[in-house]
Amino acid sequence: MSFLNPAAIAIAAGLTIPPLVALYFLKLKRDVKPVPSTLLWKQSVEDLQVNSPFQRLRSSLLLLLQLLVLIAAAVALGKPMFETTDVHDSTLILLIDQSASMGVMEQDGMSRLEKAKEQAKIRIENMHDNARAMIIAFCDRAIVVSSFDSDKRALVRKIDSIEQTESRSALSEAIKLAEANMQNMFISQADGTDKEIRPNVESATVIVFSDGRIEDTDRVSIQRLDVDKLQLVSIGQRGDNVGIVAMAARRNYEFPEVLEVTATVENFQDQPITLDAVLHVDGRVLDVQTLDLAASPPPSAPEDATSRERIGDHRRVVAFDQIEFGGSGIVEVVLRVDDALSADDKAWTIIQSPRHLRVLLVTEGNLFLENALSTLPIDVVRLTGSEYDEADDSIITDGNRSTYDVVVVDRHATARLPQGNYFFFGTVPQLDGISTGKTISDQVIFNWDDTHPILRHVALETLQVYEWEELIVPPNAVSIIDGETSPVLTYLTRDASQFLISAFPLIAQDDDGNLLMNTHWVTSVDFVVFMQNAVQYLAGNLATTGRDSVAPGEPVMLPAPANVESVSIHRPDGVVDAVSVAGFQTLHYAQTRQVGTYRLEPAVAGHEFFPINLFNPVESMVKPVSQLSLGAGSVESTAASVKVNEPAWSYLLLAALALLLLEWIVYNQRVFV
Amino acid sequence: MAVDITTQLLDPAFMTKLDQLALVSRKIFAGKLRGERLTKRRGESVEFADYRNYVVGDDLRFLDWNVFARLDQLFLKLFLQEEDLHVSLLIDCSKSMDWGEPNKWLYARRIAAAIAYIGLINFDRVSLYSYANGLQSELTGVRGRRLMFKAMEFLTGAECDGQSNLPAAAKQFAIRHPQPGIVIVLSDFFEKSGYEEGLRFLLGRKYDLYALQLLSPEEIEPKLAGDLRLTDVEDDDVAEVTVSRALINRYKHNLQAYCRQLKEYCTRRGVSYLFTSTDVPFDQIVLSYFRQRGLVK
Repeated sequence: MSFLNPAAIAIAAGLTIPPLVALYFLKLKRDVKPVPSTLLWKQSVEDLQVNSPFQRLRSSLLLLLQLLVLIAAAVALGKPMFETTDVHDSTLILLIDQSASMGVMEQDGMSRLEKAKEQAKIRIENMHDNARAMIIAFCDRAIVVSSFDSDKRALVRKIDSIEQTESRSALSEAIKLAEANMQNMFISQADGTDKEIRPNVESATVIVFSDGRIEDTDRVSIQRLDVDKLQLVSIGQRGDNVGIVAMAARRNYEFPEVLEVTATVENFQDQPITLDAVLHVDGRVLDVQTLDLAASPPPSAPEDATSRERIGDHRRVVAFDQIEFGGSGIVEVVLRVDDALSADDKAWTIIQSPRHLRVLLVTEGNLFLENALSTLPIDVVRLTGSEYDEADDSIITDGNRSTYDVVVVDRHATARLPQGNYFFFGTVPQLDGISTGKTISDQVIFNWDDTHPILRHVALETLQVYEWEELIVPPNAVSIIDGETSPVLTYLTRDASQFLISAFPLIAQDDDGNLLMNTHWVTSVDFVVFMQNAVQYLAGNLATTGRDSVAPGEPVMLPAPANVESVSIHRPDGVVDAVSVAGFQTLHYAQTRQVGTYRLEPAVAGHEFFPINLFNPVESMVKPVSQLSLGAGSVESTAASVKVNEPAWSYLLLAALALLLLEWIVYNQRVFV
Repeated sequence: MAVDITTQLLDPAFMTKLDQLALVSRKIFAGKLRGERLTKRRGESVEFADYRNYVVGDDLRFLDWNVFARLDQLFLKLFLQEEDLHVSLLIDCSKSMDWGEPNKWLYARRIAAAIAYIGLINFDRVSLYSYANGLQSELTGVRGRRLMFKAMEFLTGAECDGQSNLPAAAKQFAIRHPQPGIVIVLSDFFEKSGYEEGLRFLLGRKYDLYALQLLSPEEIEPKLAGDLRLTDVEDDDVAEVTVSRALINRYKHNLQAYCRQLKEYCTRRGVSYLFTSTDVPFDQIVLSYFRQRGLVK
């Protein structure tokens, strides 16, 4: 038993009990009653007092009962609790997981987030009155829902305001945010004076309300908080879930009107399951396939993500072949299963109509490149560098966007870069943050991402490049092929444009001006496949895979339609957001915490929709964990079972009422004696 | 007028019933005047008492000639004298008597009236005294039915006042009333200075003493509750009490003990102790209870 407000007991008791006792002893108001003789009454009173040393108190059962009522009420004011958790924490930080897996509906009909909020609210209610609490909701991002506050009602309201998202969960940002706020809280108390308040950050208790399915536990670093005071309240029980972890849709190379859709489906539960996967295209069911998935293998410790990603009996690829669909639309794969998490039972992608791509090749002459492009099913227009720079806008641009699907620039530095898709060979686009350094000629190709769509079916083991320029690119650039010290092939986006930059030119000139092959790769079939992949990828015709899909919560950048003030974005749940694009070429949108297809209106042709898919095995593995391994395995928080500090004041009030009733009975007994 | 006064205390029907009763003294006393009671004194009744030798001057009418014929000696026949009986009623008229429902004072006066009536119709010499802190008023030596109205007048006119002091009253009474006879004390006997001394004064005169204790139902079963400041109606003494069941029980216990002590004190000294509550019907007390206790026959 502990008290949230012990001072109230002393104050209430001090204010009420002494006056009550004083009133009894002073007996200020006695009814005067004449009697024939006081002889026997005095004798009787004396007898009673003689027989009992505490007769003065004992004779008045009413006083005793009233004292008990007051004591019970005073103790109730002290907010007593049957102690099951430590209520003496002066500083609390509640981290509430709002990621996709928290949307699992548990057996009692409550979602995990609702349960977590309930637990958090109980913890707040049980908080010591002088204690302060901060509430942080986290998924892929962490936001401070409430800064440090002692107002329990306000804190409960803030907890109620936390909404479910379908994003992944990342704890590291939440921990950083908590640590930063701890620091801020105490500094702000100095309110401009020289008085410095040393933060006692060690005393903060951090409670994580989560199912424990957190992606970045290995990246969590705790610097200022007390690791021993980190608790996990594990939420949820269900573990039955099957989800789509990847999806791709592409057109047949030879027959563009034929669609090939693949989806990777994984069983996350410990029971085998048979289910139907249904393919919808533009809302019409085009195919159904039945899948048999084995039980999920028991997790090895620590969780080995790469082993889980291997295709096995529990993780199968369902392929929908020979789907005749010539138009553009939304491709949707739906799993017919009743499982814990519904966000991963559907996946979407957008497929465009088959069309001949228009490619502009800006080169002073490159036989290999021209030959490679000529073998592809595309229309190629060739311009020299000077022709490109001087060409009329009507040739190059349509509105503020390039009229060509892809512009391949070969060894020509240019700043004429309307919105579009660019592939630079041997030079870089003249944009801020992108430049070349020294020439590298003594290094080998060191590493490459063979899962990237551009390198699909491309063998790089024999690639040799004689020299290339050191690329200096922004941090958001994705390196596809790495040299020892500098990327060789990199991909980046800037506004609504895509840039694929090859650090090496295909051909080079020697000192005498003779053209030389910079790589023998240009003569291999791999180069043609590479160019096909690159052009298709840049033009957006390649299948989008899980890796390239936008995850919930991540911002989306889309080309903005010209001459429009704002664009309406219809979310999957029907909510419409208006995004101002006046004067911008790019539309930035971040309210993507819900999976589904988002519709833009008005939109640039081909960008009317964009899908948001979960594709996150960590979130799909909904079975809660009771233990969190944080950092490099050195920090562990033990699982905290759901503890409830039951308030005891209600029992005390009941006792006070019972005593009051008893007092009433005693009083009436005295009246009728 | 006399009828009215009498009727207040005794109604005619009840008086008719009283006509058949007579007061009984457990002792035989010498009276002042000839009455209807036998006394120790030899007199002219028809009750033979003894013989004695004839001396010159004796009334020759009382010589027993049959004895003289047989024994040839003169003996004088002695007869018991019939004389009147002194009946004194000491009625407590302190303030504490004017209490209760039915009222103790009225009850005491009605009993006194009944006893006086019985005495008067039997030619007993009836004296009435009211006392509080000493004798307050008195009506002494009335005899015969025709003086009944005087007795009633006295009783009706008496008022309750003052503080009870039985010793003082008893002392005065004993000095002023040396004649033997029946003495009946009507009181609640709530004497703060003690009743013993008062009774001792009366016992010294060898009266045939009756102590009749009257209590009202409110005194026997007090109906009090709460925190009270009890004031004594006689001396304004104050007792602050918090009435509880325990206190009530203790009071009842003490009252019983007080009455029992009084009874024991009386019994041990040959005093007849009678107790009654005023809620007992008055006629029942006189006709039944007094008869059982031998006060009347």
